[in-house]
Amino acid sequence: MFSRISYALRETWASFRRNLTLTAAAILTSAVSLLLVGTTFLIQRAFENLLVQWRGDVEMIVFVRSDASAEQIGLIDSVLRSSPTIIDVNKLLYLNKTESYEEAKRIFVGDPVTLSLLTPESIPTQFKVVPLSDDPQLVRSLSDQYRTLPGVEAVALAEDEFQVISTLSNFIRVVTLVMSLVLLAVAVGLIWNTIRTAMFARRREIEVMKLVGATNWFIRVPFMLEGLLQGLLGGVVSCGGLWALNSAWTNGVAGFKPGTGISSLVVPSSYLTSVMFILLGIGAVVGAVGSAIAATRFLDV
Amino acid sequence: MPCAGKLVAMIRLENVTKIYGSETVAVRDASFDIPKSQFVFLVGPSGSGKSTLLRLINRQEQPERGDVWVAGRNINDLPASRVPFLRRSMGNVFQDYKLLLNKTVFENVAFSLEVIGKPRHVIERQVPAVLDLVGLADKHGRFPEQLSGGEQQRVSIARAFVNRPLILLADEPTGNLDPTTSEGIMSLLDRINETGTTVVMATHDHRVVNSMRRRVIQMDHGVIVRDQERGVYE
Repeated sequence: MFSRISYALRETWASFRRNLTLTAAAILTSAVSLLLVGTTFLIQRAFENLLVQWRGDVEMIVFVRSDASAEQIGLIDSVLRSSPTIIDVNKLLYLNKTESYEEAKRIFVGDPVTLSLLTPESIPTQFKVVPLSDDPQLVRSLSDQYRTLPGVEAVALAEDEFQVISTLSNFIRVVTLVMSLVLLAVAVGLIWNTIRTAMFARRREIEVMKLVGATNWFIRVPFMLEGLLQGLLGGVVSCGGLWALNSAWTNGVAGFKPGTGISSLVVPSSYLTSVMFILLGIGAVVGAVGSAIAATRFLDV
Repeated sequence: MPCAGKLVAMIRLENVTKIYGSETVAVRDASFDIPKSQFVFLVGPSGSGKSTLLRLINRQEQPERGDVWVAGRNINDLPASRVPFLRRSMGNVFQDYKLLLNKTVFENVAFSLEVIGKPRHVIERQVPAVLDLVGLADKHGRFPEQLSGGEQQRVSIARAFVNRPLILLADEPTGNLDPTTSEGIMSLLDRINETGTTVVMATHDHRVVNSMRRRVIQMDHGVIVRDQERGVYE
């Protein structure tokens, strides 16, 4: 058993060195495509921060002054519930101070200055409103009405604030996803080609191996390991790239004026780490698939 | 046919027909028994089907009709995953040696044990022994290109025999060698045959066949036209 494993590892390494140029090309292509996959993940997550307060079809937020009395809050609530034909009262949601503060921590994740101005005591509470009607004019006229209620600090409409960003984020997500899928397919193809070339270079050896009774798996495994290694190395390179990209972005964003929204577009480092593991996983799969196809297809030499 | 009867033949062909493409008949309705430890020449002009017969025996080819039996087993129904194990009971020798040029004599022979998973200590015992048998003990560190044709063929015979196969298949092993060198190769094959290994050798080398006086199966256009004990090349 040990001799088989050491054989496979030795052959993998030898073949790896023999085909350095093609190998480098395969690794770099998988790295670039994986980097794009990783960037897609990060962009999506960053936009989610920005849009977190509008999750679940929320179109309007009624902010309530932090010093509003319980009666005032009750009044606002009953006014909101008085238009059940326009507002989906079942989805009407009130966030108290603690909940609002938790949400603010995500919105201002990259903007510690603004966050430090807020405390769980001084933060406005909020009603999240999901309208039933598709008519923006109707919702807008309601918002004008709510603004005048006692205790209401402000009324925000999704249309004004984040409709554009939401559309933009969907567009970017689709584009990067499609591009990374295409590039991943290219990476599989390149690894396939590298392994095919490696097998062709050693067709004489493979012929002898088959004649003396080596099993197909014995012949295949070093080639499959080689492809796996290429995919994995591509994953490692892409992780480095993603880390550098994310650091540069996070540092750049910190320089923006607080409260512009851009500063929400950062991700926590724990999320970055899990994306990196995903990239390594995808890299390994890409390498294994490419080489497995080649190693099965070209064994009959 | 002599020796058939109740004895299980080492190799048996029953009405074997092999067709390449749609119409090229390489072997037509071939039948014979080769008992254990026999030495058999397959003779006939180029393209008469000798090589195809050998390739049918080690299952590089499968017949369109008929059955091939090796050591009592019909190898036509052998699943592809078992074919490697069939091949471990056979050694193959070729006209062009098929040695790996980037490996030394020792490594070439060791390679065939390595790839069937033999442990190091077995390799280190068996390879020197077989190199001694073929008379190349002192050249184990040379590369194939540093050897003469006859020596290269000895390496390839060592590689084919190191695993002590039941059968040795040789396809024109003396085809590239001069008469004197061929004689040496033949006496080596003879010695291997004496250890009990069945040897099937395809050749059109008259001199070799006539000097050995072994069973001769003669092919012509894919058909067996003669099967004779202690025969000569005609």
